Amino acid sequence: MSSTVSARAPQQSSTTPGAGQTPAPGRRRPRILDGWGLLIVPLVVFLLVVFVAPLVTILSRSFTDPTTGLDNYRDFFSSPVYLDVLGNTFRISGLVTLVTLLLGFPYAYLMTLAPPFWRGVMLVAVLIPFWTSLLVRTFAWVLMLGDTGVVNQGLMSLGLIDEPLQLIRNQTGVLIGMVQVMLPYAVLPMFATMRQIDRRLVQAAEGLGARPISAFWRVYAPLTVPGVAASCLLVFISSIGFYVTPALLGGPKDMMIGELIVQQLSAVLRWGFASALAVILLVVTGVLLVLVSRIVNIGKFMGGER
Amino acid sequence: MSQNTSTSTSTSTSALAGTGVSIDIRNVVKRYKSMTAVDDVSLSIEPGEFLTLLGSSGSGKSTLLNIIAGFISADSGAIEVGGKDLTKVPPYRRDLGMVFQHYALFPHMSVWDNVAFPLKRRRISKAQVAERVQRALDVVELGHLGKRRPTQLSGGQQQRVALARAIVFQPQALLMDEPLGALDKRLREQLQLEIKRLHRELGTTFVFVTHDQEEALAMSDRIAVLRDGALVQVGTPVELYERPASRYTAEFLGESNIFTGRNHGVDEGSALVVRPEHVRLSAVGSALPTGHNAVDGVVREVVYLGSGLRVEVALPDGRHLITRSEVRGALTPSPGLPVAAHWHPEHALVVRDDTAA
Repeated sequence: MSSTVSARAPQQSSTTPGAGQTPAPGRRRPRILDGWGLLIVPLVVFLLVVFVAPLVTILSRSFTDPTTGLDNYRDFFSSPVYLDVLGNTFRISGLVTLVTLLLGFPYAYLMTLAPPFWRGVMLVAVLIPFWTSLLVRTFAWVLMLGDTGVVNQGLMSLGLIDEPLQLIRNQTGVLIGMVQVMLPYAVLPMFATMRQIDRRLVQAAEGLGARPISAFWRVYAPLTVPGVAASCLLVFISSIGFYVTPALLGGPKDMMIGELIVQQLSAVLRWGFASALAVILLVVTGVLLVLVSRIVNIGKFMGGER
Repeated sequence: MSQNTSTSTSTSTSALAGTGVSIDIRNVVKRYKSMTAVDDVSLSIEPGEFLTLLGSSGSGKSTLLNIIAGFISADSGAIEVGGKDLTKVPPYRRDLGMVFQHYALFPHMSVWDNVAFPLKRRRISKAQVAERVQRALDVVELGHLGKRRPTQLSGGQQQRVALARAIVFQPQALLMDEPLGALDKRLREQLQLEIKRLHRELGTTFVFVTHDQEEALAMSDRIAVLRDGALVQVGTPVELYERPASRYTAEFLGESNIFTGRNHGVDEGSALVVRPEHVRLSAVGSALPTGHNAVDGVVREVVYLGSGLRVEVALPDGRHLITRSEVRGALTPSPGLPVAAHWHPEHALVVRDDTAA
């Protein structure tokens, strides 16, 4: 990490010679604390105080509170209730990922085909959730999806259903709420990938004898894979840490690990166990990132250069 | 290239050879909002012919090729290939090979898979696919690079892969849309020769689009000159160069000296064309060959081309005249020298002046 940072420091890049020239070995050495390099010190301090220190505290607490050892982890992995919560978390996150993919892929694809004006409209539509508070949106869903909410009232007055559908306090509610929140994260990376795909390749495939559907699946779709993978990863990892939406829209059976952490922390006051849960969440996320980064270059979709 | 390779190459090529088909373009019209891209073009391409659509950008040559390929549908008119009307047939059932200026190789597939793509779409047995892909790659001399990705190849190699992919399924005809436009001059000339060789060995009908008149002259059996969507003239390179039907063709193909107006004895609406290599220079006042037409002028510039000289002569009316001559002529021109430029009347062509419109 530190070598990457120093290599991109302005001092270094401004002295980077043109191609073909070999710099003296001494000049390549990272000199992080000269002039410009000092500018990152405030950020480093900030991260140390608000990120690294709490993380270390959580990690140590998960092994020491209330007793030193692996007790917290043993409790977690030996209890079906807790494992169910972990299973729920994965299942719901997986479903959210699947649904956002199914909705987001065609949406992103249509965006690449739309004329500039409509592309703008579609972009704003997908970004609107970004501009509203998560809490407000979730409460809005509670009002809309409840027994006397707009959706059920509407369906009943149309005569399509006789009694209200159970749309909240269960998995359906959680899915609806989370998919709406996650949709921009799914659409934007896919759109970014798709707009760079040369559509003439599809034309070439058709000229070579591929039916339009075959040309799409064999030429266009494979080229969207980096975007699709980035989307899925973003959505899945964000989803497993969700708290507000499942807490308000889900039922007791749909508890996710985020809710369990809050419950252990504020209701049961088992801080050590809550810390262990947080560590487990962190490790799972890390492992996923590593696995997926073997398939696609994640940095590219997070604003990195390569 | 060793003797061995060339032998195996030609057997490979003959195994991929197809029979040429005719292509008939009938009254094709394509209009976009404010312009007519293809303006009532009719053209018959002979089986096995190498025909070039030549024109500047915006002449409609690419649009016409895309209409033949089926990527663009014409507003009216018909395309027949091998006597079959393909106007309403989608591109994937037209069985035409296409090579694009931008290569259009599939970046997620290896070179081998790119070339196998059209065969797999045709449900050909695996063994057959392997054999034919290898043969097509051998033909373009890339047999050893099948495992590479297109992005790992140079521009010239990529275009060869595109060529292999376009011929591997033995299409009825090969369409090429400025295939050499993105390559540098040397590579372009090398690939021109290779495409010529492919054409000779395959016997397939080739339709080639270019804006480069030298390329068109060097490669084609016949050239169709397009201008503003309309067909100006069709003919062999020799016909077009030596007997241009109009001033536009004369100026587009090669260099020409154009004279208009009554004081040159040319009627309104016509132009006199004299090719630079037919203009000779003599000292002013010296005896000219009998019957020669002449104008007096002053040498403005002399360019040594190695094989000869290119001389610009400033005429009294402010225009200039270009001549090409051998280095050892009767006269050594230098700037400022007054000369008489003269030519035999049989080299002065009277053509329709279509550039004013």
